[in-house]
Amino acid sequence: MNLETREVYHDGVVKRLVQFSILWAVVGMLVGVYLAAELLWPGLDFGQYWLSFGRIRPLHTNGIIFGFGVSALMATAFYSVQRTSNVPLFMPRLAWITCYGWQVVVLFGGLSLLAGWTSTKEYAELEWPFDIAITILWVCFAVVFFGTIANRRIKNIYVSNWFYGGLIIVIAMLHIFNNLAIPVTIDKSYSIYAGAQDAIIQWWYGHNAVGFLLTGGFLGMVYYFLPKQANQPIWSYRLSVVSFWAFTYTYIWAGPHHLHYNSIPEWVQSLGMVMSLILLAPSWATMINGIMTVSKAWRKLTVDPALKFIVLALAFYGLATFEGPMMAIRSVNIISHFTDWTIGHVHSGALGWNAMITYGTFYFMVPRMMGKPLHSVRLANIHFWLALTGTILYVIAMWGAGVSQGLLWLSMDDLGELSYSFTDVMASMVPYYALRLIAGLIFLTGTILMAYNLLRTMYGLHTVTVVPPDVIDEIKGTAHNPNAVMGGEVTA
Amino acid sequence: MLFSVLNSPSSVFEKIASGNSEVIGAVQRLTFFLILLPPVFAWIGSTLFGWRLGGGDPLYFDATARVIISFFYADALILGYISTVLIARWMAHTYGGENVSTESLFAFFTVVLTPICIASAAHLYPHIFFNVLVLIPSLLWAITLLYRGLPVVMKIPPERGMLMSSSLVGWLLVAFVSLLGLSAALWTYGIGPNVVV
Repeated sequence: MNLETREVYHDGVVKRLVQFSILWAVVGMLVGVYLAAELLWPGLDFGQYWLSFGRIRPLHTNGIIFGFGVSALMATAFYSVQRTSNVPLFMPRLAWITCYGWQVVVLFGGLSLLAGWTSTKEYAELEWPFDIAITILWVCFAVVFFGTIANRRIKNIYVSNWFYGGLIIVIAMLHIFNNLAIPVTIDKSYSIYAGAQDAIIQWWYGHNAVGFLLTGGFLGMVYYFLPKQANQPIWSYRLSVVSFWAFTYTYIWAGPHHLHYNSIPEWVQSLGMVMSLILLAPSWATMINGIMTVSKAWRKLTVDPALKFIVLALAFYGLATFEGPMMAIRSVNIISHFTDWTIGHVHSGALGWNAMITYGTFYFMVPRMMGKPLHSVRLANIHFWLALTGTILYVIAMWGAGVSQGLLWLSMDDLGELSYSFTDVMASMVPYYALRLIAGLIFLTGTILMAYNLLRTMYGLHTVTVVPPDVIDEIKGTAHNPNAVMGGEVTA
Repeated sequence: MLFSVLNSPSSVFEKIASGNSEVIGAVQRLTFFLILLPPVFAWIGSTLFGWRLGGGDPLYFDATARVIISFFYADALILGYISTVLIARWMAHTYGGENVSTESLFAFFTVVLTPICIASAAHLYPHIFFNVLVLIPSLLWAITLLYRGLPVVMKIPPERGMLMSSSLVGWLLVAFVSLLGLSAALWTYGIGPNVVV
C-alpha cells in the first residue's frame, strides 16, 4: 500500500454538505421570516404571484426540510457511518454526485414552486420531474450508505446506523408511493389516488416524513454525536435498540391523526390516535437515554458550546413528542386542528429539536474536520441564547394564537350561529403574528451568527486526513492496521 | 421577605442553601399568599371586564363559573408547585444534590415562582394578548432564577445545575402543555363554563 492507495475517511463531501445545509438554513429561515411578515402586511407580495404566501410557504418548508434537514442528515450519516464501520465511504464519487445532485434538485425545485408548479400535496409539492430526480438521488444515497455498512470491519451495526438506515428505506417507500401520478405536461401531473384514499396516502407520507426524517434521522444524529460529545457511552444501549424497533413499528400507523373528523372511516382515525399515544413510550425512552448520557458529562459544558444545544434539543424533543400524541387525541384535536397551535407544535420540533441538534452537531463536527478550534466560542454561546429565546417566544405566541382561534371558532350564539367570522378571528391574530415575526428574526439572527462562525472556521482549509483506527477486523477475523503502512495519526 | 426575594434573590438562595430555618419558614409562609394571587386576580378581572380572546365583545361568565374556574386554577397551581418540587427531589439523585432538604426545595421554587405570581396582576384585565405580553418577561425572569439559583441551593457545580434546570424546564413545558390539552378536552366534552350573553 502506498500513499495514493491508502484508506482515509472521505470528509470532503461531508464538509460540502455541511456548507450547503448552512446555506439552506439561512435561506429557508429568511423565507420563513418573510412569510411571517406577509401575514402581518399582506401587501409585501407586491402583487407578484411568485411572492404570494401560497407559493413561498412551500418554498420555506421544502427549503428547510430538504435543503437544510436532508443535507445535514446526509453529512452526518456519511461522517458517522465511516467511523462506526471503520471503513471509508463506499463509492465516494457517488457520494459527491448525491451531494451536488441534491442541491440542484433543491434549487430548481424551489424555483419551480415559485413558478407555480405544485402537486398540492403538503411536503410533497414538487412535480413529477423532481420526484423522479429525488428517487434516483435517494437510491445513490442508499448505495453509498448501505455499501459502507456492507464493507464494515466492525461486526455490530451501531444503533445510529439503524436509524439512518430506517430513514433511507422508509422515506424511499413513502416518496415513491405518495408521488405515483400520471404526468400530463412537464409541470402538471395527477395523483393516481382519489378522494379519501389520496388523503390517507398523503398523510401516511406526511406524518412519516416527520417521523422517519425529522425524528428518526435526527435520532441517528443523536446516537452518534451525543456520546461523542459527552465522551460517554450511551446510558443504555439495549434501551436504544428496543426504542428503535418500537419507534419504527408504531410510527408508521400514526398518520390518520391528521385527518380527524374528515371523510375517512372513524376506526382509521381511532387507530391513528391510539398508535400516536403508544408512540410516546419509544420517543421518551430515547429522551431519557439522552438525558442520562449527558448528565454524566456536565464537566464539558464549560468548554463545549455544542453540548448546550444538545441538552436543549432533548428538552424540546421531550416537549414535541409529548405534545404531538396529545394533539392526536380527537377531543383535543377538534380545538387545535386548523389553528396556529399546530404551527407552534411543528416549530417546537423544527426549531427546538431539529435545528438545535443540528447546530450542536455542526459545532462538534466542523472543528474536528478542519483540525482547528471553533472561530469563536463566545459567538456560539450568544447563538445558544438567541436560539432558546426565539424558540420559546415562537411557541408561546402560537399557543396563545392557536387556543384563541380554536375557542373563537367553536363559539356559537343562542341560535347556533357562529359568534365570530373567519375575518374577525384572523384580525385578532395581529399581535401574536407580530410576536412570531420577532421570534423568527431572533432565531434567524442566531443562525446567521453560526453560519459566520462556522464558515470562518472552515475558510481556506481542507478537511484533515483521518485514517480508520487500528482494529481487529471482526467480520473477517483478521487484524487490520492501515496506520502501520502509512504511519498516519488518528485525529478523529 | 417579598422585597428580598425580588430585590436580592441571590442572598435568599444562599440563606436557603445554608439551611437558615428562619428564612426558609418566611419564604414558605409567602407561598400561601403568592399562589393565591393569580386565581384571585383572574376572578376579579373576569368579573369586572370579562374575558377578551381577541375577537368581538368580551365573554362574561356567571358567578358560579367564575368561582369554579378560579378554584381549579388554584388547584392546578398548587399541584404544579408540589409536583415540581417532588420531581426536582427525584432528579437531585442524578445530578448529585441528594443532600438538599425538601423544605429548601419548597422555599427555592417559591422564589422562582414569585415574578410570575406578581405579574399575574395582568389577569385583572383578562385580555389574552395583554397577559401574554406581561407574562413572557416574568417567565424569562423565573427561568433565569431557576438556572441561577438551583446550583446554589443544591450545592452542585453550575454546569450540573444547568443540566438539571434544563430537565426541569422540559418538565414544566410538558406540564403546561398537558394543562392546555386537558382544558381543551374538557371544553370539548362540554365541561366548561357557561357564558352569559
